[in-house]
Amino acid sequence: MTEVLDWIAIVLLLAGAALSFAAGVGLVRFPDLLSRMHTAAKPQIVGLALILAGIGLRLYPDPRVGVLALILLFQIFTVPVASHIAGRVAYRTGRVRSDLIAVDELQEQLDRD
Amino acid sequence: MTVDHGSSASTVPTGRPWYRRLGGRLPTVLWLTVMWVVLWGDPSPGTAVAGFAVASVCYSAARLPHIPVRLGFRPQHALRLVLHVGYDMLLSSVRVAFHGLWRPKRTRGAIVAIPVRTDSDFLLAMFSGLVSLVTGTLVIELNRNQGVLYVHGLPVNGPDGPEELRAQVRRTEELLVLAFGTAEDLEVFRLRAGEEPAGAAGERGENG
Repeated sequence: MTEVLDWIAIVLLLAGAALSFAAGVGLVRFPDLLSRMHTAAKPQIVGLALILAGIGLRLYPDPRVGVLALILLFQIFTVPVASHIAGRVAYRTGRVRSDLIAVDELQEQLDRD
Repeated sequence: MTVDHGSSASTVPTGRPWYRRLGGRLPTVLWLTVMWVVLWGDPSPGTAVAGFAVASVCYSAARLPHIPVRLGFRPQHALRLVLHVGYDMLLSSVRVAFHGLWRPKRTRGAIVAIPVRTDSDFLLAMFSGLVSLVTGTLVIELNRNQGVLYVHGLPVNGPDGPEELRAQVRRTEELLVLAFGTAEDLEVFRLRAGEEPAGAAGERGENG
């Protein structure tokens, strides 16, 4: 039984690592800030969740598992706020490449106002 | 809570008896205590008592106002919401990761206006948080007065891309209101959803 759990933990850890890696690569390779925010903030959350789940399975009877849940919880609370602010500031200061945006309904609204 | 609340939800009633004021703050203190116990990693009664004491002292020292939370809770819809958001997160994380590795320079995004169908501050905050949490959608701007959310989506492919993005976000909103809305919020939601197709579809037609 523990062997099965170990294998599941390994798969989760590897999947989390792969997603975090892809997030890092995306951060470098995407051309503008808005696209980068998507990779910087978010495959990272799923990646982190998978890694924490993997660690949790390995640690399980230990009460410190709770700390892992807290880490994930506070990431989930704080990351959206940070990425929203970064995206909003980027848009408002014009640091958005409009050639990379197919449809921009916010610009249309601002033009109308 | 029989407190009348302004829409800013920060009205602190002073005329309430002391036990009601304490009672309203109890959940926060309990949550702080739970965090304390979890961080110590030692669920013994001593830790819990110490945590409760520290939480109470911190809470009274900070003099935080008590904000009456006006939310409902329907477990079956909450579960659907968690599944929906979890599925979105996994799927779009993989998608965005793939685009990051493969042709990132050609990936297009879109900023889409999404009229919201709720007027509750709590629901709006949770909604924009959830939307920003999911990979591939990012809230750029929230127009509180007109009730419109501007969401940047990535990747958006083909002419149907913006519509798919809109549908996904609106589904999240629907589940969120069903899971956490009060009866009033549900009423507002149905009203707005009912009057919508004519106005919104017409405007969308012009833009397209």
